Amino acid sequence: MSNELDLLWADFATAYNTPDGYLLATTITPEPPKSDPARLHRWQRWTNAYSVQTDLRYKLQYNPNIVLEKKEASTWLDVFTAYYSFAGKLLAAEEAQKAGKRRDADWSAVYEAWKDVMSALYRGYSNNIFAAWTIPCLYIAGKYLRVFAIKADANAASQRDSGLAFGALQEEDAFGAASKNEKLEDAARQINRIFALCLSDRSEVQSSRKWALYYIANLLFKTYFKLNSISLSKNILRSLKASGSDMPPLSAFPKAHQVTFKYYSGVISFLEEDYATAEEFLVSAYEMCNIHATQNLQLILTYLIPTKLLTSHRLPTSTLLQQTPALDRLFSPICTAIKHADLRAFTLALEHGEEEFVKRRIYLTLERGRDIVLRNLFRKVFLAGECEPAVTKEGEAPGPPVRRTRVPVKEFAAALRMAGAEVGDGEGGVDGDEVECLIANGIYKNFMKGYIARERGIVVLSKGGAFPGTGV
Amino acid sequence: MQAAPAYTAVAARHTLQRPATIPIKPQKVSWSPNVRLYVQRAFEPDNAVQGIDLPAMQDKLKVVITNAAESGQLETIDWSQYPLPQHLIKEDRDRAAVYGAHDPLLTNINVPIMSSPAGGAYSPGLSSKKRKNGDLEMSDAESRDITPPGKRKNTKGGLEDRLTGKNKNQSKKEKKAEAFRARDLGANAEVLEKRRQRFGVVGSPEPSSFVRSRSPSLETPSSGPLIGTCQKLEKSYFRLTAPPFPETVRPLAVLEKALLHIRTKWKQEHNYSYTCDQLKSLRQDLTVQHIKNELTVKTYEVHARIALEKKDLGEYNQCQTQLRALYKLKLGGKQEEFTAYRILYIIFTCNRSDMNNVLADLTPADKQMPAVQHALKVRAALASGNYHKFFRLYRDAPFLGPYLLDMIIDRERLAAMAAICRTYKPDVSLHFLAQELAFNSDDSDGSDADAGPRQCLDFLCHHGGESFIERKEDGDVRFAAGRATAVFEGARAAAFRGIDAKPRK
Repeated sequence: MSNELDLLWADFATAYNTPDGYLLATTITPEPPKSDPARLHRWQRWTNAYSVQTDLRYKLQYNPNIVLEKKEASTWLDVFTAYYSFAGKLLAAEEAQKAGKRRDADWSAVYEAWKDVMSALYRGYSNNIFAAWTIPCLYIAGKYLRVFAIKADANAASQRDSGLAFGALQEEDAFGAASKNEKLEDAARQINRIFALCLSDRSEVQSSRKWALYYIANLLFKTYFKLNSISLSKNILRSLKASGSDMPPLSAFPKAHQVTFKYYSGVISFLEEDYATAEEFLVSAYEMCNIHATQNLQLILTYLIPTKLLTSHRLPTSTLLQQTPALDRLFSPICTAIKHADLRAFTLALEHGEEEFVKRRIYLTLERGRDIVLRNLFRKVFLAGECEPAVTKEGEAPGPPVRRTRVPVKEFAAALRMAGAEVGDGEGGVDGDEVECLIANGIYKNFMKGYIARERGIVVLSKGGAFPGTGV
Repeated sequence: MQAAPAYTAVAARHTLQRPATIPIKPQKVSWSPNVRLYVQRAFEPDNAVQGIDLPAMQDKLKVVITNAAESGQLETIDWSQYPLPQHLIKEDRDRAAVYGAHDPLLTNINVPIMSSPAGGAYSPGLSSKKRKNGDLEMSDAESRDITPPGKRKNTKGGLEDRLTGKNKNQSKKEKKAEAFRARDLGANAEVLEKRRQRFGVVGSPEPSSFVRSRSPSLETPSSGPLIGTCQKLEKSYFRLTAPPFPETVRPLAVLEKALLHIRTKWKQEHNYSYTCDQLKSLRQDLTVQHIKNELTVKTYEVHARIALEKKDLGEYNQCQTQLRALYKLKLGGKQEEFTAYRILYIIFTCNRSDMNNVLADLTPADKQMPAVQHALKVRAALASGNYHKFFRLYRDAPFLGPYLLDMIIDRERLAAMAAICRTYKPDVSLHFLAQELAFNSDDSDGSDADAGPRQCLDFLCHHGGESFIERKEDGDVRFAAGRATAVFEGARAAAFRGIDAKPRK
């Protein structure tokens, strides 16, 4: 019955002889490759728990196509033994899932079994047995650790909800920090171990595990984001920065790693309100991203658009937005409102999209778009003003008519009222102080240049460039 | 008659693995028609209870019947009146929900076998992994001691392993119950063993369902869920290092009276350290007895409010966290009030990610509540720098909101001043400032109309604005805003630097 898994051993041998890390990784993937869709089932039929070790030893050590050192062979033995029991658990869980008995699908066991596989692999690297070209195996280990952890947690959550499992540990107060992401947190710790392992590799750069660093870092980012503990991501960034001199530069890594890394770095900066850095990262990610990776592009733009809104007060063009229906739906209403200085539409758009914005954590940033709406509004008031003939100096030709720079506060008030801003004083009139406050904000934030002469009830705008950045 | 052989033949082993133990078939008992009817009733779909699935009910049924059989009550119990297994399960769950399912006795005797929680250091699965095969023999010997001679069987003992081995404190009654239950599973041991082999688990048994035998922290010398017996109304707070004795813990009824007592005393004496101490001890008593009901909510709310009044933000935050979890249990309480507080608190801490989380958690129903709306308006106003609106909202804050807003009013005043100084030239009247910055005194009897402006002056001087104050001939006091820009910009930056967050700009 040993020809059942021949394809696998053939791949293994080829991988070792080439050497091809990615091919090697396919031998331990939980998902069977396209060339061999029944692989997991074959594992089950090929051997059983009693003889798995001997069968594997036979395949690994006495196989003429594979030449492995003793230590390497025994480590692979451990890996495949763990993989064998893992495959069994996975199949059981999948069957239960398909049979509709979702609660019986023991994804926790699958997770634990996969963790064993990962531990076996880990030992291979910590003892420096596996060469660095095999690191795609680590990629697989980490990636699926995450996947199974999420599945296990979801399962546990549904069990808890249906009253089949009771919860918390005892704490001093009524509730402890109940962990509904327990497995994912564990996965995060494991992947962190892998990260540390790769970071501490002392061998030469060409054959170093450091090449795995960005991939693993990206896995960690994804995990931390899901766990909503973004602060932990900063530790990763710091570690990478610290060992920057010992590592090949980011540009030397595969493009996929780079784009993902830049995306996450950008989002992390964005969430800390460091919009300048965020813009750098996100723009770079956007430009490097494969044009066909529409989902990724969409993600990048979701954060790039609010960033650019704040840094350069620029809006995306409608052509850009219309390329992606999701982005169009998300951002078009707001962008249109800002362009037309329509305060009512802006508030409405913000409200409508609130749930989605909050989910993506961009609500608070987009809110600041209101400043731009107000600026555009005030600008319109300014432009609506009459032009006064220029003051001519002695001996000079008369200059072009200049817009008046003294604008009564009342005009701003009227504009605000028409635009639907809440500037009422509760008795049908306008709260002049509120209007002045809004203008004060505009000046303070450098949207306008000028000052308010309160006694005279006018705003004196600067002659040259009253509205910086808008050409007026 | 043939002489009995002097030896017992045993089949030779062919592999190194332990041979599967041959399960003994359960004793055949004839069931009376009453019992049969009862079983029928239990299985009827009409009698099914939501949330309790078939396997759980079946297990419970087994337990009930075996218990009855063992205690010889099979004929004496009125099976037509006896509560169905699913109802028994529901009762247990309800009881457990109030007291917390931590008690060994409760869970072991009545609660049917359930899958282990996906967490907890108490997961018996861990202990079973550590067991070696040798333990099988040992537990068999032990179980022989517990089970009465006539009923001794060779069981798989998977459950017994862990329970009898680890939990030495269990009473005999408990052990009996477990032994009976384990025997039932023994009938399926062959099936279990085969399954195990298929998945390659060699050696130690790994049953897929566990009974959670919780041991350590709650094991008091007495049996039953921890119910206190102390009757004292007042009790100081001591940090627990070991499980408490019931004599020191107050039961629910006493706790309710205690809360009233504390509240009255607070109103009379306003002694914060004493009240805080009493409330913490109350909370502790509630926690160790796993009481999660309206009283718990009330206690935390009372403590939170008192902490707010006294500006004890650490204590307030603790209570707030617990309340958040308690509200999810739908026990009632003043959710509107405390959601509003939560929003204001996060504004105070300038914690952006927390704010994001709070906004994500708000339901549409929440957003209808006036206090929550007010808090959201405060947030929006501060986010856009609209100090004018903010100070108006400050005056109208509901419940104990003003206490929270008091925490941030100073720095917001400085922010407003920074903007005002940039904007207004050459100067503004003190009256205007006092009005804008909400320096009007609260007592509206008008006895001291100058209190507001005076406080405003104090404020300005405190932050280095003295030199910009000018008293004109007509009595009007003016503030030379135009020249004070640098001073107040600096003051503002300092105020916001203290909270380790970027100022909004």
